[in-house]
Amino acid sequence: MPEYVELHARSAFSFLEGASVPEELIAACLQLEMPAMALLDRDGIYGAPRFHLAAKKNGIKAHIGAEISVQSPKSKHQSQKTNFARTAAGVSIPVLVRNRTGYQNLCRLITLMKLRTPKHAKAGECAVTPEELTVYAKGLICLTGGNDGPLGLRGVERGGRFDRGNMQRNAEWLVAVFGKGNVYAELQRHFDREEEANNQRVIEIARRTGMPLLATNGVGQATPARREVADVFTCIRNHVRLETAGRLLAGNSERYLKSGLTMLELFADLPEAIANTSTLSSRLEFTLEDLGYEFPKYPVPYGETMTSFLRKRTEEGARLRYTSNNDSSAYDRARPQIERELALIKKLKLEGYFLIVWDIVQFCRQEGILIQGRGSAANSAVCYSLGITAVDPIGMELLFERFLSEERGEWPDIDLDLPSGDQREKAIQYVYKRYGKLGAAMTANVITYRGRSAAREVGKALDFDEETLSRLSGLVHTWEWKDPKDSTERQFRDAGLDLRNPRIKKFFQLYQMVQDLPRHLGQHSGGMVICQGQLDSVVPLEPATMPGRVVVQWDKEDCADLGLIKVDLLGLGMMAVLEDSIKLIRDSYGEEVDLAHLPPDDKAVYSALQKADTIGMFQVESRAQMSCLPRLRPQKFYDIVVQVAIIRPGPIVGNMVHPYLKRRQGREAVNYPHPLLEPVLKRTLGVPLFQEQLLKMAMICADFSGGEAEELRRAFGFKRSEARMKEIEIKLRRGMQRNGLSGKAQDEIVQAITSFALYGFPESHAASFALIAYASAYLKCNYPAAFTAAILNNQPMGFYQPFTLIKDAQRHGLKILAIDITRSDWLCTIEREEEGRWRDGETAKHEHTEPYVDCQMASGLFPVSPRLSVSPSSPPLVLRLGLRYVKGLSEQSGQAIVRERATGPFAGIDDLRNRVPELRKDELRKLAAVGALNFIQASQSSTPKVQTLMPNQKELNAEPSVLETKGTNRRDALWQVERVARSAGSLYEGLLEKDGNSPLLPMTLPERMDADFRGTGLTIGKHPVAYHRAELTKLGALRALDVGKLRNGSLVRIAGWVIVRQRPGTAKGFVFLTLEDETGVSNVIITPQIFDQNRLVLVDHPFLLIEGTLQNQDNVVSVKAKYVQPLSFQVAAAPSHDFH
Amino acid sequence: MFACIYSPKITSLADFVYAFSPLVEETKPDTVVIDVEGCELLFGSAYELANEVALRAGKSEEEGGIDCQVNVAIASNPDAAIHAATLLKGITFISPGEELTCLGDFPIQTLDYCLVNTEKKQAEEIFETLRLWGVRTFRDFASLPITGVAERLGPEGIQLQQLARGQAQRHLKLKQPAPVFANSIELEHALAELEPLSFIFARLLNQLCATLNAYALATNELLVQMKLEDQTAYERRLTLPYPMRDHKVFLKLLLLDTEMHPPQAAVSAVSINCEPVKPRVLQNGLFIPLAPEPEKLELTLARLAKLVSQENVGSPELIDTHRPDAFRMKRFVLKGKPDFRKRGSGLSNWQSPIGNRQCAIGFRIFRPPLRAMVQANQGCPTQISAWSKQRSVHGRVISLAGPWRTTGDWWRTDHWARDEWDVALMGLGHESQSSALYRIYRELNNGEWFVEGSYD
Repeated sequence: MPEYVELHARSAFSFLEGASVPEELIAACLQLEMPAMALLDRDGIYGAPRFHLAAKKNGIKAHIGAEISVQSPKSKHQSQKTNFARTAAGVSIPVLVRNRTGYQNLCRLITLMKLRTPKHAKAGECAVTPEELTVYAKGLICLTGGNDGPLGLRGVERGGRFDRGNMQRNAEWLVAVFGKGNVYAELQRHFDREEEANNQRVIEIARRTGMPLLATNGVGQATPARREVADVFTCIRNHVRLETAGRLLAGNSERYLKSGLTMLELFADLPEAIANTSTLSSRLEFTLEDLGYEFPKYPVPYGETMTSFLRKRTEEGARLRYTSNNDSSAYDRARPQIERELALIKKLKLEGYFLIVWDIVQFCRQEGILIQGRGSAANSAVCYSLGITAVDPIGMELLFERFLSEERGEWPDIDLDLPSGDQREKAIQYVYKRYGKLGAAMTANVITYRGRSAAREVGKALDFDEETLSRLSGLVHTWEWKDPKDSTERQFRDAGLDLRNPRIKKFFQLYQMVQDLPRHLGQHSGGMVICQGQLDSVVPLEPATMPGRVVVQWDKEDCADLGLIKVDLLGLGMMAVLEDSIKLIRDSYGEEVDLAHLPPDDKAVYSALQKADTIGMFQVESRAQMSCLPRLRPQKFYDIVVQVAIIRPGPIVGNMVHPYLKRRQGREAVNYPHPLLEPVLKRTLGVPLFQEQLLKMAMICADFSGGEAEELRRAFGFKRSEARMKEIEIKLRRGMQRNGLSGKAQDEIVQAITSFALYGFPESHAASFALIAYASAYLKCNYPAAFTAAILNNQPMGFYQPFTLIKDAQRHGLKILAIDITRSDWLCTIEREEEGRWRDGETAKHEHTEPYVDCQMASGLFPVSPRLSVSPSSPPLVLRLGLRYVKGLSEQSGQAIVRERATGPFAGIDDLRNRVPELRKDELRKLAAVGALNFIQASQSSTPKVQTLMPNQKELNAEPSVLETKGTNRRDALWQVERVARSAGSLYEGLLEKDGNSPLLPMTLPERMDADFRGTGLTIGKHPVAYHRAELTKLGALRALDVGKLRNGSLVRIAGWVIVRQRPGTAKGFVFLTLEDETGVSNVIITPQIFDQNRLVLVDHPFLLIEGTLQNQDNVVSVKAKYVQPLSFQVAAAPSHDFH
Repeated sequence: MFACIYSPKITSLADFVYAFSPLVEETKPDTVVIDVEGCELLFGSAYELANEVALRAGKSEEEGGIDCQVNVAIASNPDAAIHAATLLKGITFISPGEELTCLGDFPIQTLDYCLVNTEKKQAEEIFETLRLWGVRTFRDFASLPITGVAERLGPEGIQLQQLARGQAQRHLKLKQPAPVFANSIELEHALAELEPLSFIFARLLNQLCATLNAYALATNELLVQMKLEDQTAYERRLTLPYPMRDHKVFLKLLLLDTEMHPPQAAVSAVSINCEPVKPRVLQNGLFIPLAPEPEKLELTLARLAKLVSQENVGSPELIDTHRPDAFRMKRFVLKGKPDFRKRGSGLSNWQSPIGNRQCAIGFRIFRPPLRAMVQANQGCPTQISAWSKQRSVHGRVISLAGPWRTTGDWWRTDHWARDEWDVALMGLGHESQSSALYRIYRELNNGEWFVEGSYD
């Protein structure tokens, strides 16, 4: 019996034209005992890696190909030239890759098509020309396709009628392009009359032209049931509903993967069509194993090899790194390790890789771009010597095998952190420039159907009304924590939807079926693939949304799986903050800060960390970190490494946090699962916290080699397989048995490895992050003005809103000056106090640090930074807010203001308007409302007021002291702004006022605060809660500052502005809130029960009054809520940072 | 002087206030303004008039009231009166020149910008500016210098300021009684026969068409409501393809429709309403063949509908679906101009009942399909036997093609799935030894066989 091989199948990577992922197709193939299969996605090989790997795992041969869209010739003349029929929509030609040349041609063909396709291309625009196909046809086998193929009805019809002449012409053209014997007349049978009629014509043409027949099923889904998904995708693709899609939908469910027997029955009259499938399969030599990828060679000077060049650079670096202070002992310790690493690098032929990464690092250094390697690369002494990483793996006894091992046979992975924004883009563009547009590309990120998007799109296809759609998509919870009681039935019932309703039930089924199916291609945040020669012959390239970038058709994991080396150039907001801080320190403090040589034991840093005074600091500012810091009390750098790593799912899930903290506080004895493990676990007090420790544990206890240990970690990691885990566990236990470890110790170790490998954190990575955390803490404690300016200039980033960062800086004694058009740049800047005119008028009132701050300082909770001035005799440095904080002001307008100001001060608002025509009326109004035009106004309105209207403002009379000085207030500016921006009309032309004096009364303090929040999202004046303090005191609410002074277990009331809401997945449904008032922040714990009772209040209200029990343990203060009440303070508040 | 009457509970105050003055402006459904100039002889002073309005409004409908409390405000200009009536309860009298004293404390957001025809967006922008200026009340706004406001807020700002000062002057937009396109009649004796009813219809339709004629309007929908002797209601809606106003055509259509859908009891009252629309103006092309007059065609169609029932008259229209033989009947409408450009494309060309649009032979569909008994061998039919009153199909399958499978509408409860076969049958028995081509199908949901039709 002839064997059948399916040679024409689409996966969901045809994006809305296929309904099964490659793994499903392979699973079906396995079930049907098919020896091979081909994947031909539409204009791409997006799914090829997954298809190949799944097939390889199951012993199935994976053939690669694609359906290539081919344009119809533009003119009759061209059509005659190519002899390819001119049709309305062009055709789709399925091609299979025969050999590596064919694969390269296919990749180039797709790249050619994609790179020239405009962003919002219409159907048919994304296609190759018949001439291009002719050029790249070598090594490819052509099938004639189904209905939209060159011999299909749509491919040959003219004026809506079948045209036999076209069919014959196309067949001959295909044979001429691909060569005789390389074109197969494809026959598909889906029980369709018209298709069968066409099949008969194709058979006739095939007999005439000598094309072999080939049976395929034009597969679009693995199983018949998936046809429903295919129909839904058709609706999404065509923006129609199922009810109105009509004949766009499939006529039946026959496009599933059919068994050889079924196909044999279908083609009983044409056995050669079946037989040819296995013959053709045997002709297709190519698989993705034979990718032909080569990492680029680094160009070395004449007389050098890459090995020798790398050795020299490493040795130079090592001497520099390890022989400071004329102490060569560190160097001597490092030498053997460096030698060992270099030998392995040579053996694995990775010199080019290291040199290329080194080259990128060198470029960044030359350009003054901060760069630091992280991840497992920090385990390598070579990386440290080359300056790629900043953590000394020898000093920290890190395990090299975590980074690179011979056994693993994988490329190493080096992640480089760069300042996010322009600097990172500069580094990326350098790589493009160096390796050519077709030599480097970003890795893709496949966006899949998930959550709300899936719910909405499926709902739309089923024609649900907008209200139901919102309810359905609202069911998809995005809270990190998932309540175990939250069954789907319950969720639907709560939303008023009945799962017994057939449409709702169908929605639910479809919603589940589309989960994780590919939706479109995105761009990975930083992964770059580089290739020796032409990357477009290894994988097709596509233009990214961002101009000047291209992406490969595979995602990060696929690239790694197929051995494509990537270098991650990741943008890190804090790196940008550090870089900006250094520049600001240089300009305003006149000091040069070298991040590589920061004082290692800065007292201010450790004091701040111990008090959890860490708002704005990298990695240690979250609420969870803050609640751990006073317990851990970091005293040295390694403590920060531990701190960074301990608040992670690994240690939390593995129950490592509390034992470690107890041991650290001396409340629990330090012991080890086995004496052998003492050297490994000593630094972490017998508690395994890092992946490296697990690796070493396996190496010591079970005699694993470094590579084997890393293999173990991977087996237990994200892509865990039960069988593989079992196999390795047996090996591990056997090894431990051999070394005399008891059953209990064995269980303990296996348990640690099992829970930890999934979420664990490499020590090297933690150390790299800890370095940045230390640097951020150092800058914050020692150069608060520069650090605060830098962090404000890089928003959004981190855990807190700018408002909280500013209030924190003010609490530490930093003066913040208001946005002022005569002083502010686009970004926040630093001034010396006497330079500004902040004592004048309204701004002076804003900028005076308010009395409660003094109270804080007196308490010693928030120390005034010692570096608020350059020297004790010099005036303090203050921070001037930048124009970027004016909501709605475009950067173009902001920069234009700064540019014009440089040519001379503005004489008035009229002058500003005339000289900066970019400023729109609404922008002027916004500037005036936030007080940015006050100083420009002062010079203009020096004449005394002739009249003041609106005399009956009771609230103003009640608070006369807070009135703004006339002539320099926001209302003056607002009054003037409206005049310069609008004409009065011809009727009033003769009556125009002469002096322009404002009849408006100045804003009161609450009004100014409101204007600040509306206009900038922050205020440098009083905290919103401070205005209601008297009211809150009557309610018995304590200030955040006072809460910590009470004893554990007291019943307290607190009130404040919710700045953070969290519901972590590891916290069993508990919700954590951070409340801020004028004296600081308070932490609140909400039990699941209280949360359920007050869900709406807790999620929606910005100001809350909370009553509960005070928990004050080891200086970690929090309130366990028993009662929650919303407070109706009217403030145009900035949104909280919610993690739910 | 002007009086504004406001009541949020009543949606049509105009009818009520006609009792006090013929000069009525219906500013909003719940707000009306009347000009009280010259009403002194009837009602006394303006204040007394206001009292009378409030008093009468509280009375029941039988006593000429509206059974509701209303706010009444008297002012020298309509807009000040509107603001006062909208925002102050009871009766307010504003002496000329005292407008700001009364309105001054109103929040600025309550300033009704619609009264000066300001766009919503523009008004919102002005209010936002006023908010930024700290202007909270009418008084605050009124006290701003007029030139300053003109320079900054433009003519719209000035108009709004005038409004806030209570000094905006304008004429009332007087409400005209709307024409009524409805006629009704209560019968002294209930009518059970169509003929006497036709006289009633004729009378009502005559009046209706005269009104339409008077306003140069036509209608494309007639609503006929009848009260029946058994206290039930009867209602028919005649939808016309084009606007018409010929009472004779209406009468014939109505009679045909009533014949087709007779009331269940004798008629005691008749009312006919119509929706007035602009009449149809059509210029036929010089070379377009003359079509029947729409009115005559409509009558003919109505007569046909009477003969064969409504759902069997019209033009068949193919439905865009894979479901076999799916079509619906749509109303037959004369096309103005045939569009020759559309020939050769469109739905019908892509969809052929034969299932193969390249096929050149004809296919006769049996409606309804003949239920068949089929003998099959390995799923392939070998012998067929089907019959109905009109025809019968019997025979041995001598050749066949298929199955052709269609399935669809899986998201609906009436989803379908069937396999079709094209079969050549050799007749059984003595009467026929000749062969014929048929299409048979099998419902996959229940396994039943049918003969769908025959090929020519």
